[in-house]
Amino acid sequence: MLERWITALHLEDAATEDALATRERLKDHFPKNSTRRMTQLGLCLGTTLAPLQLCESDTVVYASTYAETRTLEGYLDSFPNPSPTLFQTSIHPSAVQQNLILRQHAVRQFFPVTGDLDLPARALLVALLCDAPRVVLCGGEERGGWLLEKGRASDRTFAYALALSTSSTDALGRIALETAPPAGTSHPLPQAAFFDLLQARRPFNSVVSETRRLRIDWS
Amino acid sequence: MSALPPIHLSACGTLTAFGDEHATLAALLAGRSALAPVPVHGVEGGDLVPIALCPGHAYDETLPPSWLPLLRTLAARIPETAWGTPRRPVVVTGSNFGVSHLHAYRRRGGENHLDYATPIHCVNQVAAALGWGPDVTVFSHACVSAHLGLLHASRLVAANLADEVLVFSFDFISPFVAGGFHALKILNADFPAPYQDRPNGSIGLGDGAAFAVLTRDRGDLVIEGQSLYNEMHHFTANRPDGTGFAHCLAGLPRLLAGRRVWLKGHGTGTLEAGRLEAAALSAAFPGAPLVSWKGALGHTLGSCGLVELALARAALHAGRAPGTIGSSAPGFSPDLALAPFDLASFDAVVCTSNAFGGAHAALILRHA
Repeated sequence: MLERWITALHLEDAATEDALATRERLKDHFPKNSTRRMTQLGLCLGTTLAPLQLCESDTVVYASTYAETRTLEGYLDSFPNPSPTLFQTSIHPSAVQQNLILRQHAVRQFFPVTGDLDLPARALLVALLCDAPRVVLCGGEERGGWLLEKGRASDRTFAYALALSTSSTDALGRIALETAPPAGTSHPLPQAAFFDLLQARRPFNSVVSETRRLRIDWS
Repeated sequence: MSALPPIHLSACGTLTAFGDEHATLAALLAGRSALAPVPVHGVEGGDLVPIALCPGHAYDETLPPSWLPLLRTLAARIPETAWGTPRRPVVVTGSNFGVSHLHAYRRRGGENHLDYATPIHCVNQVAAALGWGPDVTVFSHACVSAHLGLLHASRLVAANLADEVLVFSFDFISPFVAGGFHALKILNADFPAPYQDRPNGSIGLGDGAAFAVLTRDRGDLVIEGQSLYNEMHHFTANRPDGTGFAHCLAGLPRLLAGRRVWLKGHGTGTLEAGRLEAAALSAAFPGAPLVSWKGALGHTLGSCGLVELALARAALHAGRAPGTIGSSAPGFSPDLALAPFDLASFDAVVCTSNAFGGAHAALILRHA
């Protein structure tokens, strides 16, 4: 069994809020005049990462199915004169990079993961295999515009960040992946469901992929 | 640096604009370049920029994707087993996946482009086409993506969570990504000259796909010393003192003590990154010959770490390494190898990749 202790949990739920409203609401979490070019997902994720005070030895694992949806839409619509700023901000791990670059926080290991129905469990496996004393598992989605109409974007905006430690001191809970017997029924746990579970601090004990059981217990 | 035992590379192959790793190695040893001028916006025109496309791959996206048969051809060379199952998981890495189809959809329409339009939709299509099971993990960290896949795969093997892991990587060039690099002004009419000290920098882009099978004990070559470092200094620039490169390489010389090593660098053709990278490599491995192959293949983006690993492996087997095609003196390092050289006296190669955000990755490939 692979397990770690949850020593911090921060969430940001912008739901269907407009991106400008999110910026206005969250701007005080960031250095003055720094949010103008940040994405809605970047703002939400930054709000959850800031209290963790990342250091270089932390490993960051980032999970997002669709990542920078609105920026990607903007970049595509900027053709035939593509925007260099939107291009670089549209790359998958941009939400994390916007924040760590803003605060000049180097990290040795950074694993941006993408996926679908079992993305949180996959990202968790990546996190639990890391050897850093503290691993930050973070992620989120951004409500899409025309991509949402085409079923290629999230319908809500949210972000989460969990600090996972090998020490149980002051732990909020425990998270574990266990090997499950093959061919059992699995219950997929996509990003939004994982976020809701964290928000409610609901215990969880279910097979989430062919052979892996996810357990979350809260103190 | 990750504390892992050496992980064996039991199979490895690539597909570039020249063909498989044998054809590509032969072309590189002959000093050939696959880069050719292509209108950056494809059928919509634009400046001519150097791009190396695989034969059969249409630069403007088609349906079905013209790159899918190429992946099938590559995948036919992977040892056959139940890939995508718990003991034989697949790790897919790339940076653009099917987003080029999103560009095609937005510019020209065609709802079926949306079947490939996000990373996970694209990977699901590839997994179905190649017959993989559901145990597939996907990393997307621009041009160090393949290194992340190799490290995660190594951890799965080392932890005995898998018997063998397939790492699969692909990136096919399209107007979507070329337009972006052109907008950043690092993809222009000039052809790349990696590590060459010249007035203006430039890159080329190239198609690339590759696979590697990692195991605990099969194969004559091993990977070790896998190292990552993320500066988080600037999206498109490195710390000017080069410490990001140095931090990534820091633990490797100790692992290589007593071994003669050559260096397969990232070397895209940009000036500042090339200068910093060459200086850091020269400081960590004084006298070790340094090559980049992106002057011939173009930058294969998210696949470059695995494409160039397959070529380094082929070079080790052939006993001869290609030089830095497209470049000439003066270089950023006295150790820049412009011409092919014999590998009989070398024990290992250090392979590096870099990416947006000041991301750095390195590994050692050596005989078991």
